[in-house]
Amino acid sequence: MGSFVSYLVSGLAFGCSFALLGSGFVAIHRVTRVVNFAQGTFAVVAGLAAGSLLGDGLPHGLAEVVAILVAGVVGLAIGVVAVGKRGTPTLASLVITLGLGILAYAVEIMIWGDQPSSYPMVRGSVHVAGATVQKQYFVVIGAAIVVFLALGLFFAKTYLGKALSACASNPYAARLVGIDPVRMGILAFALGGLLGGLAGVLVTPLQPVSFDSDVALATNGFAAAIFGGLNKPSAALVGGLVLGVVEAMVAGYVNASYQTEVALALMLAVMIWQARKRTSLTEEVA
Amino acid sequence: MWLGSLVGLVTLLAPLVLSRSNLTVYILLGTAAMATIGVSLLMGYAGQVSLGQAAFYAIGSYTAALIALHGGSTVLGLVCAPVVAGLLAAVVGVPILRLRGHYLAFATLAFHLILLAVVGQVAFFGGDIGLQGIPPLGIAGHQLVASRSYAWLTWAGVALCLLVTRNIIASRPGRAMRALSTSEIAAESSGVPVTRYKLTVFALSAGFAGLAGGVYAFFLGYIAPGSFPVLLSFQFVVMAVVGGLGTIWGPVLGAGVITILVQVLNDLGTRPGMPTHAAAVFSYAVYALLLVLVLLFLPRGLLPATADLIGRFRRGDSAAGPPGGVPGRGHDVPPRSRAPAPDH
Amino acid sequence: MLSVVDLVVEYGHATALDGVSLDIQPGEMVALVGPNGAGKSTLVNTLSGVLRPSAGSVRLDGRIAQVPEGRQLFPDLSVADNLRLGAWGSRRGRLASGRSRRDPSRVYDVLPELSSISAQLAGTLSGGQQQMVAVGRALMADPDLLAVDELSLGLAPIVVATLARHLQQLNAEHGTAVLLIEQNARLAFDLCERGYVLENGRITAQGPCAELAESPQVARAYLGGLVPGEEQA
Repeated sequence: MGSFVSYLVSGLAFGCSFALLGSGFVAIHRVTRVVNFAQGTFAVVAGLAAGSLLGDGLPHGLAEVVAILVAGVVGLAIGVVAVGKRGTPTLASLVITLGLGILAYAVEIMIWGDQPSSYPMVRGSVHVAGATVQKQYFVVIGAAIVVFLALGLFFAKTYLGKALSACASNPYAARLVGIDPVRMGILAFALGGLLGGLAGVLVTPLQPVSFDSDVALATNGFAAAIFGGLNKPSAALVGGLVLGVVEAMVAGYVNASYQTEVALALMLAVMIWQARKRTSLTEEVA
Repeated sequence: MWLGSLVGLVTLLAPLVLSRSNLTVYILLGTAAMATIGVSLLMGYAGQVSLGQAAFYAIGSYTAALIALHGGSTVLGLVCAPVVAGLLAAVVGVPILRLRGHYLAFATLAFHLILLAVVGQVAFFGGDIGLQGIPPLGIAGHQLVASRSYAWLTWAGVALCLLVTRNIIASRPGRAMRALSTSEIAAESSGVPVTRYKLTVFALSAGFAGLAGGVYAFFLGYIAPGSFPVLLSFQFVVMAVVGGLGTIWGPVLGAGVITILVQVLNDLGTRPGMPTHAAAVFSYAVYALLLVLVLLFLPRGLLPATADLIGRFRRGDSAAGPPGGVPGRGHDVPPRSRAPAPDH
Repeated sequence: MLSVVDLVVEYGHATALDGVSLDIQPGEMVALVGPNGAGKSTLVNTLSGVLRPSAGSVRLDGRIAQVPEGRQLFPDLSVADNLRLGAWGSRRGRLASGRSRRDPSRVYDVLPELSSISAQLAGTLSGGQQQMVAVGRALMADPDLLAVDELSLGLAPIVVATLARHLQQLNAEHGTAVLLIEQNARLAFDLCERGYVLENGRITAQGPCAELAESPQVARAYLGGLVPGEEQA
């Protein structure tokens, strides 16, 4: 029982970070139809930046916020290059984000070196139902809940959020009413950067990151996002939690080294299952 | 035509003059070119992005190495490398090729990651340590030891891949495939067996990578999961895009430009006085910047762009292959300004 | 208020509009008729700035809003949100505060049918309701000129009559000029005072609608092939 609870909580916490990364994929894909391969980069940049800012003596809270903002700016910059040039085909934009992810390797190694790094955020642990659980897990879960609520409000209530949804719903009509889809696309990239950055800041205390952690982070985030066909942030949350818990259970009860395979196999299964449902006509748009 | 012969002659003679370390680069360039020809065929002619090409490179390497290490003939190993890679691609391709665009890209990436994880955990494949002591290739009782022989072998492989590709594109199915890269629906409605063609191209492309992997295993004599990182798959895509998708010679040019640039910067980065990580930083930056700049400003790739430039000076001469481009290019009106199909 | 002079628009190598000139006075209702593919939608899209002309000039005193062909709503958003987004383009440069400008209730005065369906998703509405939302969304931009592209397309005559009545009322009470782009020439000529005929990217006839409707050439092409007075022959 005790170990089950601790696996569950850690699974939910990692699931939340996948969900945050996944909702970044969703935010960008809805508006631009581009899958951002550099999504993992945001988490890496924020994690490494927070670590070095804390090392420079910035207090907790401020360091994390600055790191998340840095990731947002990186998102903005990637958006400008990937979708800022009008008429760039989506498949080209996709490969461009892949390239920018590699460019980020060069920059990250220059600034932070190539060794993994981590930092403590909230120390200590609590006892829950016979299990000892690190407090950090609850920080991750709590922050994710708040952000998902805020994200829901943003899209449902604000004028800007509705304009972003409008771009997703009908880009041609969005242009007719004066919404600039390119500007909105870049904005979506910035939002994706913030969400990815938050995931990175939260997860680095649990799991050290290095410049090349982005592939694993991005594939988990993508796996979470495809639960909703890359278009629904709420489905990304569900997908992330399912994925996180399954991975934690496999790691706990079966073998930690099968964790990745299970996650990836799950992702492949979901994608193939979705492709069977979809008609070939809507796929062509993707 | 004379240009092709000249390139062929230079390729043949190069091993005689290259230094030992340059010869290694020359061989790795050739293996990269083979794998990239496959990526270019898949991207340019079937409109599919694969981020898992290095997985088939690995499969070829492991096939060749395992056959040789378990007492089989090395020639059999080299022959089986592309065959096994191609067959596995055909099997994996049945479910995976239902996916398109970014879904397929992520699926092939996932396949690559799963393969690496599995190979790293199974003792038969040597685990994370890999396979060592792979014997050199023996052809008709003669063992290939000299790098020079491997150079010729590699470039014979490149020539084979180019020949196969050229015949495929010129064939009737090849022209039908070309239609695949622009619109699958259009191709399907005009009676092209889309699924079968995609699977064939995918298997063939994997076969090229498998052959390259086989040569690589015998040349180095040592392989491990770490020899086939995800970045290698990305690298093949970069080379294909930079060279020019859907062209015959583009992948070779792309592989050449990138390999040589990375090599030069690597030499520069490891000079005394340079910062510790300079070499890594340089090579990542080169991949990235070339890829992004080419996609944004020369979307058809270096080869067609250069050919255009030459053509401007000498009218009527076209050294380039058929016009290519990133799938999705070539519409006069960007898709976004069209009336959208609400997608659900 | 709108004056278009020698407008040329090209798609790649194809010329969609070839030297088109037309003008609209404030508060006028003007018909633009022509067969499918004549370049009508290209003209509207150029007027509202979605397309760029390769030559010629468009001078516009005031604000134009477009009711596009095929409605082009945001199907996943509510009617009220569709309307609110209509005010997006006029965010800046207006004195009215953002919130009141975005308030869709001012459109309900003109199109009262919309207030009862304001919470529904636009994608679930009937064709006539969708067309009304599209008109309402354009009105949210406070246009001085409303360009309506194929108002009647795919709608039952009774629905079209209601929409037409709303447009006339809008024109009469608010002084909004209307450019009515129609394949259904009879409807356009009935509603408007003045009209243009566009064929193959050129204006081939213009004048008061009553005269255009009488012209044998226009009648043969757009009014069912029979010239008035020839019916009994």
